[in-house]
Amino acid sequence: MPLIELKNIQKHVLKDINVTIGDKELLALVGPNGAGKTTILNIVAGLTDYKGEVFFDGSKMDNTPPHKRGVGYLFQDLALFPHLDVASNIAYGLRIQKYPETTITNRVKELMDALHIGRLEKRYPQSLSGGEKQRVAIARAIAPFQKILLLDEPTASLDSQTSKYLRIELCALLKKLEITAIFVMHDLLGAEEVADRIAILHKGTIEQISRPGDILFNPKTKMVSEFIGMPNILDCDDCRVLSSGLIEVVSGNMTIVLPYEGSTIKKIAIPPHDIYISDTKPPGPALNRYRATVTEIVPLRSVVRIKVDVNGNSLLTELPMETFDEMNLDIGKEVFVIIKLRRLRYVEEFDDSLE
Amino acid sequence: MTFKKLAISMSFVVFIVYGVLILSLFYFYNGQLFLETLASERTLFSIRLSLFTATVATLISVFFAIPSAYALSRFRFPGRQLIDTILELPMIISPVALGAVVLIFFNTPPGVFVQEKGVQFVFTICGIFLAQFITTVGIAIRLIKAAMDEIPVRYEEVARTLGASPAKAFFTVTIPLSKKGIIAASILTWAKALGEFGATITIAGSMAMKTETIPIAIFMRLASADIEGTAVLVLILITIGLGILYGVRLLTRKASSFTG
Repeated sequence: MPLIELKNIQKHVLKDINVTIGDKELLALVGPNGAGKTTILNIVAGLTDYKGEVFFDGSKMDNTPPHKRGVGYLFQDLALFPHLDVASNIAYGLRIQKYPETTITNRVKELMDALHIGRLEKRYPQSLSGGEKQRVAIARAIAPFQKILLLDEPTASLDSQTSKYLRIELCALLKKLEITAIFVMHDLLGAEEVADRIAILHKGTIEQISRPGDILFNPKTKMVSEFIGMPNILDCDDCRVLSSGLIEVVSGNMTIVLPYEGSTIKKIAIPPHDIYISDTKPPGPALNRYRATVTEIVPLRSVVRIKVDVNGNSLLTELPMETFDEMNLDIGKEVFVIIKLRRLRYVEEFDDSLE
Repeated sequence: MTFKKLAISMSFVVFIVYGVLILSLFYFYNGQLFLETLASERTLFSIRLSLFTATVATLISVFFAIPSAYALSRFRFPGRQLIDTILELPMIISPVALGAVVLIFFNTPPGVFVQEKGVQFVFTICGIFLAQFITTVGIAIRLIKAAMDEIPVRYEEVARTLGASPAKAFFTVTIPLSKKGIIAASILTWAKALGEFGATITIAGSMAMKTETIPIAIFMRLASADIEGTAVLVLILITIGLGILYGVRLLTRKASSFTG
């Protein structure tokens, strides 16, 4: 039975949202600003009124107030209680729900250990770093044995490295505690690291809901394709394992090398902004470098999209406007194309029926 | 003269005006008379009555002000603007006028009924409570609302998702977070009640050893041309008032920011 069901939900920008989230599933809501992502979280938590129906485990929740829904919520601004120390912040929900003191002590210790914040027990929120605050807020949100957790941009305020570690750690913790979670995230890459499924939201409607790789390799609508950066998808005709964890993939008349430990790759995705264009021959080894011809130039607001032909393969590339202005590119001009080795994405299996 | 110097000079001018006024009290200071006046039964009664009535009126005002301030700070409801405007009443009309309105009310049938069947307010200590309450409650609500406006609603939302009912969220999050603001507001309300004169004399009268608070005692001494006695009572009032304001300063200086 799905744990969370949203039926015909309407509120402000949201237009008839229907989505089911399975027990212990991690769903990421991804989309541009103003798409209605946070509104969905507020509806699930019961913090706002709405039209439509919300079910938890088959039970209708529309008339259940937030404090009786059993939904933990990690707000984007965290909002740690400034008058309570770390341990009391985490214990707040347990105390309010009148758990025995021994249960409270054990649960707080368990979560502080799991999130590596044991040493912060007596500190106050004002003295914590961004990452520490984030960990305390996560512990507080799940402390009262919540089965559902909502996370609004859980790592948005952190630097990319801290954010990546915390995402992975958080994901493992949620799986261990068997919590069903809805994440709101602004970037697809971050969502792919944590989610079982990703829903792309745009102007209040769900444009696509799929497993992580499917969004990148099989965008269903133009909006989704635009949102994920219109990646070039190349079918792999042949693969050859090279030494030291590299694989050489043949797609049409192109040969691409990428880091990979296995032996078979079905498709490769190359985001346009991860392809460099140079009008002079670049120095260094000729790995993932090709001669190409410019076939189309589409200037946008701050970038220019350029289509190039590499031995019969058409690739979409993207250049910042300033770089384009300096390069004097024109249709038919010969250029050099460099694909960043570490930025390539791939799939090993691909279900064609999804297309 | 630079603008900075001009601005600082202005603040000193105001300080000097008050300083000269306070110092002028000492021109009539007479050590013997000061002790006699202070130790007299009538003065001690006025001090006790003022401290007692101001404390009771403050408790009643704060009791009504906390939930009212919370409602005005957090909810949008019909009549909210009207209530917000009415709260300005004690600030825009003089306390004597406010007291007169209360007296007029007690001369209407509902007022007579309250006086006969309920509590006697006119010329009694209850009248002092009422006078101080009506002149301070609006200010108390304003000050507490300002403290609550500073606290993001988000803290209550977090509490709700952790299992707290709206009332529990209010008592475990909003009240502790606005504690310093409530205490500061209570002290200022108390100071205002202590110095209340116009409404008190209108409703409760000026009966010695019955409804004579310190401000009324000052007025009575002045009316009988007892300058020395007046100066002593004013000094007592100033000492209590400045002591209280110093306490508020200490509290607000120590107040921490609520951004978690």
